Amino acid sequence: MFQKLQKRLHRSTWYFTFVALFGSLVALAQEKAISGVVTDENGDRLPGVSVLVKGTQNGASTNGTGEYNISTKANATLIFSFIGYQTKEVQVGNQTQINVTLATDVNNLDEVVVTALGIEKNQRVLTYSAQKVGSGQINEIKDPNFITTLSGKVAGMTITQGAGGPGSAARVVMRGNRSLQGNNNALYVVDGVPIDNTVGGQVSSDFGGYNGSDAISNLNPDDIESVDVLKGAAASVLYGSRAANGVIMITTKKGKSGKVSVDVNSGTSVERPMLLPNLQNTYGQGNGGTSAATSSSSWGGKATTHPDNIKDFFRTALSLNNSVAVTGGSEKMSTYLSYANNYNQGLIDNNDLRRNTLNLRISNQVTSKLSTDAKVTYINQDIQNKFRVGEESGAVMNIYKIPRSVSLESIQQYEDPTTGAPLYWSSSSIYMNPYWTINNLPNSEIRNRVMFMGSVSYQLNSFMKLMGRASVDRYNDKSERKFYNGTLLWAKPGGSYEVLNDNISEQNFELLLTGDKAMGSSLKIDYILGTSLNKRSNERIQNTANGLNIRNKFNLGYATNLNVQEYAIDRELQSVFGKVGFGFKEYLFLDLTARNDWSSTLPKPYSFFYPSVGVTALLSQMMKLPEAVSFAKVRASLTQVGNDAAPYLLTQTYNYGQGGANGFIERDGRKVIEGLKPEITTSLEIGADLRFVKNKYGLDFTYYKTNSRNQLLVLALPVATGFRNQAINSGNIQNQGIELTATAKVLEADKLSWSSTLNFARNRNKIIELNDNIKRSLLGDGFGRSATPVVEEGGSYGDLLAFRWKTNASGQYIVNADGKPVSTSSQENIGNFNPKATVGFSNLFTYKKVSLNVLLTGSFGGVIVSGTDANMAFDGNAAYTASNREGGWILPGVTESGEANKTPITAESFWTTVSGGRYFVGEFFAYDATNVRLKELSLGYTINVNSSFIKSARLALTARNVFFLYRGNALLDIPGIEKRKLPVDPEISLGAGNFQGVEYANLPSSRNVGINLQLSF
Amino acid sequence: MNKNSKVNKILKVSILAAACSTAMIGCTDKFDELNTDGSKLTTLSKSELPLLFAKAQSASSYTSANYQVAQNLFADMYAQYFANTTTYFNSDRNVMRMDWLPSHFNTIYAETVPQLKSILEQTDASSSENALASIWWVFSFHRVTDYYGPIPYFKAGEAAQSVDYDAQDKIYDDFFKRLDAAVKVLQNKKSESPFGSSDRIYNGNVDKWIKFANSLRLRLALRISKVDPVRAKAEAEAAVAGGVMTDNSYNALLSKSVNGGDFNGLAIISEWNEFRMSASMESVLKGYDDPRMMVYYQPAVKTKTYEGLRNGLTPEQINNDINNFDNNSNVGTRWSINNQGQYNVQQNIMSAAEVYLLRAEGAMNGWNMGGTAKELYEMGIETSMRQWGVTDAAAIANYVTSENTPIAPNDFMKSPALTNIPVKWASSEAMQREQIGTQKWLALFPDGLEAWAEFRRSKYPKLYPVVNNENSDIAAGQYIRRIPFLDNEKSSNAAGVKVGEGLLGGADKVTTPLWWDKN
Repeated sequence: MFQKLQKRLHRSTWYFTFVALFGSLVALAQEKAISGVVTDENGDRLPGVSVLVKGTQNGASTNGTGEYNISTKANATLIFSFIGYQTKEVQVGNQTQINVTLATDVNNLDEVVVTALGIEKNQRVLTYSAQKVGSGQINEIKDPNFITTLSGKVAGMTITQGAGGPGSAARVVMRGNRSLQGNNNALYVVDGVPIDNTVGGQVSSDFGGYNGSDAISNLNPDDIESVDVLKGAAASVLYGSRAANGVIMITTKKGKSGKVSVDVNSGTSVERPMLLPNLQNTYGQGNGGTSAATSSSSWGGKATTHPDNIKDFFRTALSLNNSVAVTGGSEKMSTYLSYANNYNQGLIDNNDLRRNTLNLRISNQVTSKLSTDAKVTYINQDIQNKFRVGEESGAVMNIYKIPRSVSLESIQQYEDPTTGAPLYWSSSSIYMNPYWTINNLPNSEIRNRVMFMGSVSYQLNSFMKLMGRASVDRYNDKSERKFYNGTLLWAKPGGSYEVLNDNISEQNFELLLTGDKAMGSSLKIDYILGTSLNKRSNERIQNTANGLNIRNKFNLGYATNLNVQEYAIDRELQSVFGKVGFGFKEYLFLDLTARNDWSSTLPKPYSFFYPSVGVTALLSQMMKLPEAVSFAKVRASLTQVGNDAAPYLLTQTYNYGQGGANGFIERDGRKVIEGLKPEITTSLEIGADLRFVKNKYGLDFTYYKTNSRNQLLVLALPVATGFRNQAINSGNIQNQGIELTATAKVLEADKLSWSSTLNFARNRNKIIELNDNIKRSLLGDGFGRSATPVVEEGGSYGDLLAFRWKTNASGQYIVNADGKPVSTSSQENIGNFNPKATVGFSNLFTYKKVSLNVLLTGSFGGVIVSGTDANMAFDGNAAYTASNREGGWILPGVTESGEANKTPITAESFWTTVSGGRYFVGEFFAYDATNVRLKELSLGYTINVNSSFIKSARLALTARNVFFLYRGNALLDIPGIEKRKLPVDPEISLGAGNFQGVEYANLPSSRNVGINLQLSF
Repeated sequence: MNKNSKVNKILKVSILAAACSTAMIGCTDKFDELNTDGSKLTTLSKSELPLLFAKAQSASSYTSANYQVAQNLFADMYAQYFANTTTYFNSDRNVMRMDWLPSHFNTIYAETVPQLKSILEQTDASSSENALASIWWVFSFHRVTDYYGPIPYFKAGEAAQSVDYDAQDKIYDDFFKRLDAAVKVLQNKKSESPFGSSDRIYNGNVDKWIKFANSLRLRLALRISKVDPVRAKAEAEAAVAGGVMTDNSYNALLSKSVNGGDFNGLAIISEWNEFRMSASMESVLKGYDDPRMMVYYQPAVKTKTYEGLRNGLTPEQINNDINNFDNNSNVGTRWSINNQGQYNVQQNIMSAAEVYLLRAEGAMNGWNMGGTAKELYEMGIETSMRQWGVTDAAAIANYVTSENTPIAPNDFMKSPALTNIPVKWASSEAMQREQIGTQKWLALFPDGLEAWAEFRRSKYPKLYPVVNNENSDIAAGQYIRRIPFLDNEKSSNAAGVKVGEGLLGGADKVTTPLWWDKN
């Protein structure tokens, strides 16, 4: 029976979409166009004011210069509303030009927040913390992945960007990490519907690899109206398990009725490395103080060096981001159509991203009771030559290995012109000439993605509204990787070739009954009753030609040995959920929610249930407060969120593999779980929202505590059982912290204003319990050669283990008989990769039509181990390796037997002892990750246009990641050399998975400077 | 009207969905099917057993990159077949790499044991398949216990939260019993072809499996010859009487495949230029003018001569040009893809040459080995020469009677000659034992696992000390006698390891000798 329903629902997606799209076209009616300007009491124009035709969904909003256009009938009434201002209603009559002045409203500071399921709510009644980011903060300063531009703008949101160039996935974590082996990234919901953000194939060891792209970056930021960040589980209970890490609600633009208007947003920017490791420029290629042209390192004699050989390898990367949006419509129907074209170069030659996004949205008020909304988005993305990150012969690694006295000109011949064999300045079995790496390992990743969303709402009566919504998000990724014959590590004889084909889809079907009703004069009830079906699938076919019979003929048909892998992962989640809210006298609100899920990944009866309760009190309405307090609200909520498991954990399987004469069969190394239970996260949140002195100052404070229990973990089993590991439910991982957002209108003069927002967050994680038998679990692929991030009972998520400089009982450093440092025999705790606190400080200055936005961000605490630094030290390239080259360096340590060290050593013996390049003593290259930077700077000017053609124009000069104000120091202060400053950017990560705290040949942090022009016609 | 019916339809669907979800009638019908991985097998039938056996054989030989971290960076270095040429590896300076070593231990338990266990459970104890699985069980486990001493053995392959370690003497006792029982079963199954072409060593040839089982029994008997001479003699004589490998046609060579990563591990890692011929090998092979040198190694790329380097050099020393991999000899072309080798070159599991040399030593001990020590020693050398393609009888005879001795290898450390014994059968027992040990070391190449075990048991061949020691548990003059219990075992099987520590007869350190190591 349900199968039929599913089919019907599936069909209904198309139905919704097409009815909405084409049905709308016939609904056009003749109306008159109205335009005007909205200003405040000072006469300043107000952008973003909502203009709504009363009793309909027909609406518009004012543009950057406070102007609006709308079409409606003469008997209509327009409602003008804007946060912080009193709402005003105007009869249209026979006017065509309606200019309005809005008065400030000290009591009404309501911000509308888009909450779960896309339902808009007034922020004052929310029982949890939410933060809004407007489109202006997203689409002026550009990044190939717009999500990264939220950095510093939301308290408690930690964003790190993947190191693999444009298209690399970002890692977005709110309120700390809770999942050991699963995903810690937030869920993205677009227009009420979750979208797939599979971040597959993330690098999870310091060997490195190619990072998979994420899916959220595919959206066109110019299509975004606003982003609401719902940080806690309370906000997201209605999305179920996937929302346990918080939800980022994205609302895209709808068409506006009235005359057709066209918005153009055009941005051009250039990017250069902002932070590169400090290099020595005294000593050249060689070893032991003797120059040698075949050496891999810079331990030679004094020589002519090339101070910029590494810097010059990176290009000035150009980005062009252009979009055009057309909107228009009638009272009944509105259409939004946009097209965006992005071209983003990476810092390394041949690496770029091209993306085309086409978006059509049609909203239709069919009758006064029936409305439809439909959206189709098509995305085509082409990423060329994404490069390998990490240690093993990635492009950046090979660049950093260029000795100081080797010029780029001298290595541009990277292959033998006759034999095609690689040419290298030294001999290596891992590293290659970087020009070979960027030219002879071509790869591409092409994505075609279609997203449909359609919804139909019907107002049954004054307290019941029924909505059906369906969405399909489907994309295909075709990736090709070519490795020319002679490529170390990756090419088999003749060359290797890999083709991957992924089909990923997510479908959501939803039925909601919503409404509200006043029960007497002081009680108001609102409710949501819903059911949903979510289906996800992921299919992959991977073909690898291990060796090619004709050299460098990259075609699977030429394979010496063809390896084929094929799999499909499917899952389904069915849910019923409900929410009921009680509002008492408009100042006391109680929300109760409940959800039951049936997941295909769980054993029979597949079912799990979880509730939440939240309460809000508007103190300033309830009682008389001192006059300085203009608004006061307190809120509290207690939530449970259940989480199902990954698919395929319940049945013991046997794997077939190629090999032998007829193939191999082996039992899967994971012992299946018996009685798998859903994971439960309990979260408590308490907060207050206070505003002072006529709302001049605001303070929003949240305390939260979450406990994730019964996590589904794959933990080691004694391998002697024949299993490598077992899936079990276990653990209790706790995060608690505070979030603070302070706002101030510092200056509100006639033409000059200054407003500030400070976001602060601090999270404490504690592993209260892991498992009875296993007390430590490694994050990522396991042992890290630089450092190993772990989860250990009694510790915190992301404690870093690394080899250290051995000390004796009294803390003295141990050296060996040759005077060289002795390493500990096993890895020990050197800190934790998570920052202790994060701060974002944003300031907006306006003077007449000029605005200046300054964003400072800071991240305090946390440790990062740099593999780049360890290699720079090993090769004698790092600036600090120039000291003590001539020897005579006596380390202030003692021998194992306690005698004071008297043996002098050279820099070369020191650095080649503590670092072997690929393997090293992590503590020597561990840094305090604290950093403060000027994150964003933008100077905008709104141009007065007196033209009937161009309605408004805004020009902005922007800069991102401008410079560091502070960088942390190395954990070890090594006597005899200068203090070492953090040489890499901790905001750039090796991958978007849970293997964090290790940097290894990541792309350098870059500064982006651009110009952006917005035009409205 | 139309509109109303649409609304009704939506309502109906919603009620159905809600009813379905709450009453769960029919909605979750497909969940179990949906949650089954279609790319894998969920049941095993008898016809799949050969493929399980093939997997067990492949896994125990340490394929592909496993070979490096399980064997090459430890046993092969300790046996001084090769020396490290990379600046980034420190195992050659006696450092225990707990991140690499699990490849040695885990591979057997996770990839060999479940497969053998399935076969042992699903076949009759009197079947030839069961016997083969039992023999391979012994082969696989003797390589594990000879690294650590006590290991989980009797309860291996049984699901539990901890698995106790067992004493090495008990494990060896079981080895002998298993081999004896398997041979008895196979005596009556000579017409059968267990596992057929999925037996990647003998293609199901029962007669050859009997010879292999007896030869393995002889190897193990000599291993315990110092700790339990009575049992050793009995086992060795029974093995020889039952029939051991007597010529190269019986050699256990494991066929490899270019598919699915079932590569010969040595052939894969030879490309990586991370090891080269050791100075010890150079001293002996050059001194003896040994024709096998050209098979075992290649001339250095730059010097075109055969060159080796000492074990245990520091990164700074390795950075000297003379120690660069291009100035030293890579493993022979058989294992070198850059020359005529192939990834699927057969892997040497056991050879008749080794068996002759084991018998020679047995004869020295006064056991009935079917020949004199001298005869068997010389047969061992000849068989090894023939195994590696040296067929000229005169050349072999010259070698066997040669009075050449190892030379100083003229390496970076200016090392002296490794030892002073010639090939020609000497007169003193001590020299004869050293000769047998040295020739066995040469014959076992490239099986460093066995060579290192025999070095610890017999102290032959004499080897150079490691130039730089970075393991603080090792004092001057000491060497590595075992691998300590693994960190990952201590965290995942703490109680089991604790039992093992009690059985060790010493601290859990590299210097504690194994049960059979009485030096």
